[in-house]
Amino acid sequence: MNITTLVFILLSVMSVGSAIMMISSKSPVHSVLWLIVVFFAISGHYILLNAQFLAIVNIIVYAGAIMVLFLFVVMLMNLNAETEPIKNYRLQLVGIISGGALLLVIVSAVMKIDTEQLVEMKVGDAGLIKVLGMNLFKNYILPFEISSVLFLSAMIGAVVIGKKDDEVVNKPEN
Amino acid sequence: MNALILSAIWGLVMMFCGVFVKSKSIPKYIAVLGLSIVLISSMIELLTKKSFFHFGYNNMLNTEGFNLSFIVIILFCTLIYFLLTGSEIEKVGAHVGEYFALIFFVLCGISIVATFNTLLMLFIGIEIISIPLYILTGSDKRNLKSNEAALKYFLMGAFSTGIMLMGIAFIYGGNPNASFYIDKIEMGIGHMPVLIAVGLLFVLVSMSFKVSAAPFHFWTPDVYDGAPTVFTSFMSSVVKVAGFFAFLRLFEHAFGIVQDQWQVLIVFITVATLLIGNVTAVFQQSVKRMLAYSSIAQAGFMLLAIFALNDKAKEGILLYAAAYSLASIGLFGVLTKMEDYTIDGFNGLAKEQPVLGLAATIFLLSLTGIPLTAGFQSKFFMLMAAIQNGHHFWIVIVAVLFAAISAYYYFRVIQAIYFKEATKTIILPHSINIPFKIMLIVIAALILIIGVYPELVIGWMYR
Repeated sequence: MNITTLVFILLSVMSVGSAIMMISSKSPVHSVLWLIVVFFAISGHYILLNAQFLAIVNIIVYAGAIMVLFLFVVMLMNLNAETEPIKNYRLQLVGIISGGALLLVIVSAVMKIDTEQLVEMKVGDAGLIKVLGMNLFKNYILPFEISSVLFLSAMIGAVVIGKKDDEVVNKPEN
Repeated sequence: MNALILSAIWGLVMMFCGVFVKSKSIPKYIAVLGLSIVLISSMIELLTKKSFFHFGYNNMLNTEGFNLSFIVIILFCTLIYFLLTGSEIEKVGAHVGEYFALIFFVLCGISIVATFNTLLMLFIGIEIISIPLYILTGSDKRNLKSNEAALKYFLMGAFSTGIMLMGIAFIYGGNPNASFYIDKIEMGIGHMPVLIAVGLLFVLVSMSFKVSAAPFHFWTPDVYDGAPTVFTSFMSSVVKVAGFFAFLRLFEHAFGIVQDQWQVLIVFITVATLLIGNVTAVFQQSVKRMLAYSSIAQAGFMLLAIFALNDKAKEGILLYAAAYSLASIGLFGVLTKMEDYTIDGFNGLAKEQPVLGLAATIFLLSLTGIPLTAGFQSKFFMLMAAIQNGHHFWIVIVAVLFAAISAYYYFRVIQAIYFKEATKTIILPHSINIPFKIMLIVIAALILIIGVYPELVIGWMYR
């Protein structure tokens, strides 16, 4: 066992453990904080896979920007014990069954994986910024450009939903 | 790919139209003009096999005759939709130009999912279709039901998109070629690799969600009921068949050779969809909600194409796209003019508005699948495809039985239109004009013509 394998195992334990903590912690603020730990652990994985750019972007965008948004929303919503929805045990049972079935499928898939090659480090350069740029603007230029339509429609949607309807007075009743 | 580029560009035009044009009735005409341009240029591409735009897309899109003819059918149905109910879109809210822009973006997404060659493009296409639909669902901002429907649709849709993405990741990870291209997925010998099997399962679940097949249909009635009726019409017709086309294309090209390993799953989903859709539709009192459940039932019939996966199924899906879209667009068009959406609200329609009554009857007959209508031909092709497939013959019998059940709830509306007396006002005042009636007659005539000459639709695909 060399040092990279050790780091890999450490990061994996960290990401899975904090993911479990995220779901099981009572306070939503704690959940968000645990989620940040998950993102940091995953960024560590990216670095092990020689994808430094992805790791940095992951920290900046997810652990930075999106998590701050999450925290804002959680704090604005003023969650406490009274606003907790009533627990429905039948629904929980259904959740356990379907989630367990999903877990079974994934575990059976993972069992078949070649464990000899558990960690493959320092190979591949797909995550380097140069290779990423070449891929994005050469091989994947079409999906890259087309996704602009997706973002544009999301922006229009935000305007349509968020803008005040000033003509609402003239709107015919139907 | 004229349809892809031009519909994206015209979406931009409509967006600016929302800023600069103050009148509420003008965007409709600009949209009809733009859609005509997109439609004609797609037809030219289908006939000449040449696109106006030359750009390297690394074989990520496949513009064969079958795919292009599907796009032409979709664009044609949307044009009919604009002409028939364009004035209803104006009544939804203040942002008329933006609504049309979003519809154009949906069309852009549809032209991607109809031609995709890689899983990446499939994912982007599905997302471009979904995001504008979430917004259109919630566009009636003052209506709580619309808000609820939009939120529900958004949450469920985002979740199912996540499942699809996870499935794509599994397929990519299990594929020794490390490729997103759907024809380069290695299936192995004997059983397919387990990672790909998991990926297939996830993609199957999320595609079934997108086309509202049971048991992933729970969002459909609430969303279709809550959304403004004009947009329900678009969602349940054009967008739904586009989802099926993507479903068929993915499972034919990526997983077609291992069909015997997943066919039984499709059989289960098909029978469940037919059962739940038809039986629940029987109990509905609101016509809008009944049409939502009937769209689930029709999805069961369209699933037979994915069950069969042969040439007849391809012809069938084209016919189904035309027949089902035209009939539902027409029927929802009539519904937007009604005062009351319950079945009793249709009482005596034929006496007061003979044209509306007759047209609605033809649409309902086509949805049921009565001979001489397009609906009959499309159902016939689907059943024939299922028989030609050679496995699980009993599914054809089940489908026919449920088609018979569907006659009950469709005919109830016809009965209300013709054989019951009106007790109150049934039509919204000052809502029916001559162009609307002419469009209804045109759609009804198209349905009858396709019902007699289905080659009119199918013939395009072999060009």
